[in-house]
Amino acid sequence: MTSDAIQPPEALSAADLAIADAVLTSIAEEMGEALGRTAYSPNIKERRDFSCGVFDAEGQMVAQAAHMPVHLGAMPAAVRAVMELAPFEAGDVLAVNDPFRGGTHLPDITTVSPVFIGAEPIGFAATRAHHADIGGMAPGSMPVARELLQEGIVIPPIRLVDGGTRNESAFALIVRNSRAPEERRGDLRAQLAATAVGARRLEAAADRFTLPGLLERFAALLDHGERVVRSVIAGIPDGAYRFEDHMEVGPDGLAIRVDLEVDGDEAHFDFSASDPETEVASVNAVATVTRSACYYTIRCLAGPDAPRNEGCYRPIRFTLPERSVVAAGPPRAVSAGNVETSQRITDVALGALAQAVPDRIPAASSGTMNNITIGGYDSARQRPYAYYETIAGGAGGGPNRVGRSGVHTHMTNTMNTPVEALPLAYPFTVERYELRRGTGGAGEHPGGDGVVREYHFHDLATVSIVSERRQFAPWPLNGGAPGTRGRNTLIRADGTTEDLGPRAEVDVGPGDRVRVETPGGGGWGRSRIEE
Amino acid sequence: MDSLLGVDVGGTFTDFLLWQDGQFRAHKRPSTPDDPSRAVLEGIDALEVAPDLIIHGSTVATNAVLTRRGARTALVTTAGMRDLLVIGRQNREDIYDLEPETPEPLVPEELRFELSAALDHHGAVDRPFDPAQARHLLEAARAGGAEALAVSLLYAYANPELEKAFAEVATEFEAEDGLYLSVSSRVSPEYREVERTATTVLNAYVGPVMARYIQRLSDGLEERGCGPLRIVQSDGGSADARRAAQLPVATLLSGPSAGVAGAFEISRSASFDRIITFDMGGTSTDVALCDGAIPTRPDVVVAGFPARTPVVDVHTVGAGGGSIARLDAGGALRVGPQSAGADPGPASYGRGEDFTVTDAQVVLGRLAGGGLLDGSMTLDVDRAHAAGAPLIEAFGTIEAAAQAVVSVAVANMEAALRVVSVQRGHDPREFTLVAFGGAGPLHACALADALEMPRVLVPLLPGVLAAQGAVWSDVTGTRSRSVLTAFEEPTFPALTAALHAVGEEVRAEPGLDAAELHYGFDMRYTGQSYELTIDADPADPGSSGAAFHALHEQRFAHSDLDAAVEVVNVRATAVVAGAGEPARPTFAETEAIPEVTPVWFDGQQHDTPNLRREQLRPGARLDGPAVIHQLDTTTLVEPGWTATADDDGNLVLERAR
Repeated sequence: MTSDAIQPPEALSAADLAIADAVLTSIAEEMGEALGRTAYSPNIKERRDFSCGVFDAEGQMVAQAAHMPVHLGAMPAAVRAVMELAPFEAGDVLAVNDPFRGGTHLPDITTVSPVFIGAEPIGFAATRAHHADIGGMAPGSMPVARELLQEGIVIPPIRLVDGGTRNESAFALIVRNSRAPEERRGDLRAQLAATAVGARRLEAAADRFTLPGLLERFAALLDHGERVVRSVIAGIPDGAYRFEDHMEVGPDGLAIRVDLEVDGDEAHFDFSASDPETEVASVNAVATVTRSACYYTIRCLAGPDAPRNEGCYRPIRFTLPERSVVAAGPPRAVSAGNVETSQRITDVALGALAQAVPDRIPAASSGTMNNITIGGYDSARQRPYAYYETIAGGAGGGPNRVGRSGVHTHMTNTMNTPVEALPLAYPFTVERYELRRGTGGAGEHPGGDGVVREYHFHDLATVSIVSERRQFAPWPLNGGAPGTRGRNTLIRADGTTEDLGPRAEVDVGPGDRVRVETPGGGGWGRSRIEE
Repeated sequence: MDSLLGVDVGGTFTDFLLWQDGQFRAHKRPSTPDDPSRAVLEGIDALEVAPDLIIHGSTVATNAVLTRRGARTALVTTAGMRDLLVIGRQNREDIYDLEPETPEPLVPEELRFELSAALDHHGAVDRPFDPAQARHLLEAARAGGAEALAVSLLYAYANPELEKAFAEVATEFEAEDGLYLSVSSRVSPEYREVERTATTVLNAYVGPVMARYIQRLSDGLEERGCGPLRIVQSDGGSADARRAAQLPVATLLSGPSAGVAGAFEISRSASFDRIITFDMGGTSTDVALCDGAIPTRPDVVVAGFPARTPVVDVHTVGAGGGSIARLDAGGALRVGPQSAGADPGPASYGRGEDFTVTDAQVVLGRLAGGGLLDGSMTLDVDRAHAAGAPLIEAFGTIEAAAQAVVSVAVANMEAALRVVSVQRGHDPREFTLVAFGGAGPLHACALADALEMPRVLVPLLPGVLAAQGAVWSDVTGTRSRSVLTAFEEPTFPALTAALHAVGEEVRAEPGLDAAELHYGFDMRYTGQSYELTIDADPADPGSSGAAFHALHEQRFAHSDLDAAVEVVNVRATAVVAGAGEPARPTFAETEAIPEVTPVWFDGQQHDTPNLRREQLRPGARLDGPAVIHQLDTTTLVEPGWTATADDDGNLVLERAR
């Protein structure tokens, strides 16, 4: 006996949406696994500095794996930049790293595969990975530079694989321009493998849902993301909120100012009042970095319900003045824009939001990635070397809890290298690695403490540091105290010391030390006075 | 040996499997969380036996960590390194959480001590040991109320001398105060200071708790005239109780690993040795892929702390029968991550208000039958309907909503299974899905359909599988040590010596003197920072080279025969084969006529027979749809599937041709 069939609801049900989201997100995750698994360099394989996504035929991102926040808004820009190479054929893979055409900074190379069912592409699979060295004036390709070409090789949108045949000339050119050509070759090959996985799985999804079914799901998922974020913004009181903060360039700093306007279920980030781009240092951010930082803040407010697709960005508008520090143009240098200025843009966006939703936004976190590059010739091992790492700081105290100590915040989440691993590969050791007690700003919910990491050199080396919050402290909220500023100190073997400021490049020798003290987070709320 | 008892203590139930004179008996009773040994001893009394050997899976160590109820622990480190465990790897779990929680540290600020004695990175003594300072630190630890003390000095993997010197001074305190001592060069002599320190501290933190527990239980067993006690370890093997008390960190994943071990043994005796285990409970689901062997890995993260100890490679997702369904702000149906947990539980259990996956199955008529736990727990169908009412608007009917909830739950489980299969280069279509746990057999057909898996196996006693795994477990113990040596002809004699040294170390441990030894190298290309574990032969260490290149090629899609290779760690695993063997079950002689109830599938109601599991004697075969009830789980045979009972009483479900 069979009873009456249930009437199916509207074409795509609430369950179909959740299932499609799960299936497409798992495609992006599988691409990420393939990339991490087959990559050569520690930065991609272990620190997992990469992102993967699935895009529709217009280049709109329909799913992304939970990887790097700073890639959020940048992936779609890269896919749309390579779409100028259309028409495509099956087996094509496009590549780009030009920060002014869809990139963020040169070490991030994006590869994109069009996916075909029949004659027309139905979508794209894309990966973006941070390569440890892409040439330029300093090992690691993150120098203190004046113009882009000093930072490494620039790859405009190109066909890296043409209808299934690898463009060996282009491949050789990119690889030859790195200080670690074998590593580049291995990492690029891993990116090609990962985009191929994405393309295959997207074909399988078209099989599972039928092609019209898949396209319908793409559109429905983007609409769903838009609805979720509109409801989030609708929960933010209408109004105009202004906030400003500074990058540590020049005595007064370089201002980043936002006017955030919330109107109903839409938000407008207007950076018109920000300072112009600079020739000093690489702190210029390209527009995609600025968008990523702002998307990140809204995403944090949305919680786990918000899908990772581009529909979420529809209710968010930007005004970014050309040739400003938040929307630099050629030929400016931009490498620190991605790692340092992105943190400040996040702070500025959060500072504006804190006025609108004070019960949800914490005080400023350390606000810097504390980038340090150590390089030179290792005479014991008889080889040149370059080592790069970032150092955590304190998280800001928030309305609900104290800030965490010694943790990466906002736009980065990469891991540290074990102290015991360093002397096995390089001529230096770390002799102190501990919390910098009392550096979190006081408050009802104090900020987290920064850390101290002290390097001891056993051979000649060149040390470059790119950091911030050495001059302007992480700000507090609601009556708390600011976090303690960071400090970079050179301690010579003879005991003399020198404050290196936020950015430095110094030569060191055996017995010299560099001590990096990272900022604490700002405090939230007034301290309770204990009687 | 005449009688053997496997016991598994879970959060809700304590399960027993007694193997006696070629027969086995299962028993299940509520756990006693305040003192888990009480339920164990009461169960032994209820079974009216004094077993010759008891093998026990325990969550005592895990719970002590998760609930932060371990011993008050002090830590001694090299100067400048006392906060290693607070900083950890400096990353955060959820990148979009603006206020990441600060986990409560295992070692409070006031009990972190720095020793001025230090080693350099070659292991040479850089600053000498001062016994007076050690005594001073120990007194400060005692004054601070420490019950346990962990010592982890930088570069101690290369030279244990300083830690040994400290331990000698500490031994007096150990004797006087019962201070539990955990020393990194004994617990985990591998390089990478965060992992080594975390392992040593975890061992100290759970040590006193575990030692007391084992003592209590052993006393109770002795009073009853029972034989010796073994504790199941995270690698699926078991250990002499004395070893477990010395090295409790090796038991952190005791429960899930015994379940996988039990599932693998049962499947292997049913001639399926390529399986994916699917253990779906109320709040979480464990999956593991066994390709001819139980998969292990050398490390595990427990409550955010990375421990270096061999564990069965289980992937856990926080979703189960209690996962709550709701529409999100954009109108998509979300199932989980919120869960009704054990308390209040699903709406149909009588107290919860939220609509869970279990409630959806109740609405679809798949669970209603005689209730759960042999009818001792009834299900409130009306309450399930009421909890699901808010979803009717989106789906038209309550049944359509319930079907949608189950579909989304299955899609989430499918993603978990993909992680252990497709993402690691395995094709799920070549594997048998082994379903257990309260909710596993209910969702297994749908999940197998989604992944095109050909077959589902539901063990005879899916609810006591971990206890069954314990009965069968081998006695195991692993020791490892960092050597960081180039893998090349001239170093082979040194590598051979290092293998023998760890082999002798592990054989010196309680219960392992007569064990068979398996050796391994953790190897990598020089310059890499991750290792692969390769079998090693002390008589011919060079033979591991080819296996390393081949595994690197298989796992990472590239290898380089000309590149320099190094051995990071040497390891030796001692194995004494377990005593248990599968026993044939006995089956009831009665054949009752199945009750027929309406059950919803794909939007239609089907008249569906409801059977008791005991009614399915070996060789019995039936076509879906059917619902098969037993004490601790419910198996759903979906339309288009057939179920066959094999000689061991397992249900083998296959898609009808």
